[in-house]
Amino acid sequence: MGKQIELSRESSGSLISTKPVMTFARYRRLFLVLLCAPAFVYVLAVAVWPLLQGVYFSLYEYNLMRPASRAFVGLQNYRDFWADEAARGAIITTSIFTFSAVTLELILGLGLALLLWRDSVFERALLALLLIPVTVTPVAVGLIFRALLAPDFGVLGYYFAEWGLSGPRGFLGNPATALWTLVAIDAWEWTPLVTLILLAGLKSLPTDILEAAEADGATLAQRFRLIILPMLLPTIFLAAVLRSMDAFKVFDIIFATTNGGPGDATNTMMLFAVKEGLQFFNIGRASTVANLMIVCIALFSVAFVILIRGADRKANER
Amino acid sequence: MTARQGGARIKRRLMFALEIAIAVSAIVSGSVQAQVKSFEGLTLKLASQNDQFAAVLADLTPEFKQATGVTVKVDILSYPDLLTKMTADFVGHTKSYDLYTTDIVWAGQLAASGSTVVLNDLIKRDAAEIKVDDIYPVLMNALGNFKGKQVAFPFAGYANILAYRKDLYEQAGLQPPSTMEDLVAAAYRLTDPTKHIYGFVANGQKGPAVAQDWMQYNKQMGGDILDKDGKPALNSAANIKSLTVYKDLFQKAAPPGAVDYDWDGRETSFRQGIVANMQTWSIGAAGYSDPSQSKVVGKVGIIVAPPGKGLPKYYGVGGWGLAINKDIDQKQQEAAWLFIKWATSPSVHKELNEKGGGSYIRISETHDPDLLKKYPFLPVIDESLVNGDGDYRPRIPQYPQIQDILGDAVNAVLVGNVEPQKALDEAQAKAARLF
Repeated sequence: MGKQIELSRESSGSLISTKPVMTFARYRRLFLVLLCAPAFVYVLAVAVWPLLQGVYFSLYEYNLMRPASRAFVGLQNYRDFWADEAARGAIITTSIFTFSAVTLELILGLGLALLLWRDSVFERALLALLLIPVTVTPVAVGLIFRALLAPDFGVLGYYFAEWGLSGPRGFLGNPATALWTLVAIDAWEWTPLVTLILLAGLKSLPTDILEAAEADGATLAQRFRLIILPMLLPTIFLAAVLRSMDAFKVFDIIFATTNGGPGDATNTMMLFAVKEGLQFFNIGRASTVANLMIVCIALFSVAFVILIRGADRKANER
Repeated sequence: MTARQGGARIKRRLMFALEIAIAVSAIVSGSVQAQVKSFEGLTLKLASQNDQFAAVLADLTPEFKQATGVTVKVDILSYPDLLTKMTADFVGHTKSYDLYTTDIVWAGQLAASGSTVVLNDLIKRDAAEIKVDDIYPVLMNALGNFKGKQVAFPFAGYANILAYRKDLYEQAGLQPPSTMEDLVAAAYRLTDPTKHIYGFVANGQKGPAVAQDWMQYNKQMGGDILDKDGKPALNSAANIKSLTVYKDLFQKAAPPGAVDYDWDGRETSFRQGIVANMQTWSIGAAGYSDPSQSKVVGKVGIIVAPPGKGLPKYYGVGGWGLAINKDIDQKQQEAAWLFIKWATSPSVHKELNEKGGGSYIRISETHDPDLLKKYPFLPVIDESLVNGDGDYRPRIPQYPQIQDILGDAVNAVLVGNVEPQKALDEAQAKAARLF
């Protein structure tokens, strides 16, 4: 008994002697680490872990309908995807959709933001009304536009077909126009969000520089090109990246209107992923498509960073 | 022993026997009561496809509670939602739902995965109570039986029928079609784009919509998706021929927007009055005479779907079964089976249809005077179900992929991207890899 007490005393004594001295700086660092910990754990749990699982599953032939027959196949799922002509087409279609929709939304959004810049009751009320499309569920947006644009009995589509604007099959039934119609629908829904982001950017611009430029006799076009646009670039970048990530994952409006048709005209990667994952329950292949989408979105973001940085540098050189 | 004494003894014995009989019958009836009452307080969750029957069924469940004490909660889901939730539930063994409505084409997959309670023994046990003989054999088989395994119980049977515009046929001096060839000829004859009238309509949208409608026509025209050995035969000569006719119908006799129609678009075009002929599921038939849904009230005839000339009668069958989740505990399973028996019983199922469920499984229903008065087209459904076939969409585990392959190929042909032969050759190559 006595020996044990001796021992514990000894060990506790040695502990005290090796324990690092907790200075204020160390406490502070520990405090900061603890502050970050929930966010860190959250990101690990909901982003990194599923991402790694996605990579893992993509290396397997794994179908939920036959869970027992799971087999390691290496990169076969990626090879299969690449060998499929329709799948390669889906990458191109998705890229065209994303680039066109985001560009259109940025141009329209910037225009609207400039119009709404002056802060009056009228502009504020208008902004609130403009935001209505953003609040509508994308599936509902798809269904509404499908009903509107139906060439045989749609409220708009009938007249578009009658007047020869859309061709007899309507905008959504013609492979040449279906994708562009979906770009327009996407722009209808998401331009207000881009407007909101850019408006926030415009309102945070320092007014003294603008006033100085005006006093120096800079024209409206000069002020826009030389001052507003360069200073707004970080906000434009934010809006572009946010929208690109979202547009690349487009699914709902296409599912509700064309389901990827006519032919392969509107077949996007997300349609592929959902089909593999939620219709065939082929988790291996669905993960493969999802991983490829992440790579594509990353590439898109990098392209935007390069573009915006280039523009920024050019503006600074002036 | 005197005669009087003997008589008294017999009387006593008789009384005793009577007392025992009363006691036994009390115990027996008590146990039946107890059996039903033993479910008191249980709750069953049912995930249902959002078809016409779903809301009516949800409305009827309080009656089941009154009879058994079991509460049934009905979640009404869209087709993709239902399939996703069911599969996730079965794979993860999460017991989210006790009962599922299951589509005719899922039978193969359910039998392979073994996720639902196999009902063969229960049906055998309760055959008299269920009145099995009253259920159309084709539905008993198609809506849940796969290679002898009953994975679901028939709940809502649909027949493929032809809805046609009587007024347009009369104006043109035509008789209703009795063969596929008649139908095709009438479709061309009745088409007049200047008046916005088209002779034919079917689903054209890429995916399940176009695939399912074409499979129906293809079978009527003598084609088939699988060969005699059950292997894919998508590019058979009969299939190529039927797709060629189908393409021509779409290009010359269907509303131009039909290449993007799914079920909803197809039905709307008919109810809007721009289409003269439409093959469709019997569940929608009552809607054509409802002024709130239709502009063609009183102008629609319902007849059996015409087969190809010289070919045997062929009527496609579809619909939904009710399946019990195998993961739930024994008592829940028993309560679920009790619910299936109740919901498909002659009286409750009749009530379901009286209230617009549009889902027939019993021979007595299609011959019921009350229902016949309300729905005069029931003899057409009866003939279709008596001679029907639920396998024109092959109910095999590979079905979803085959449907997808066909959905791409047929849509590509209809929009004019590729010729039938080439599209079906490519589809066949893809389908062959699944076997």
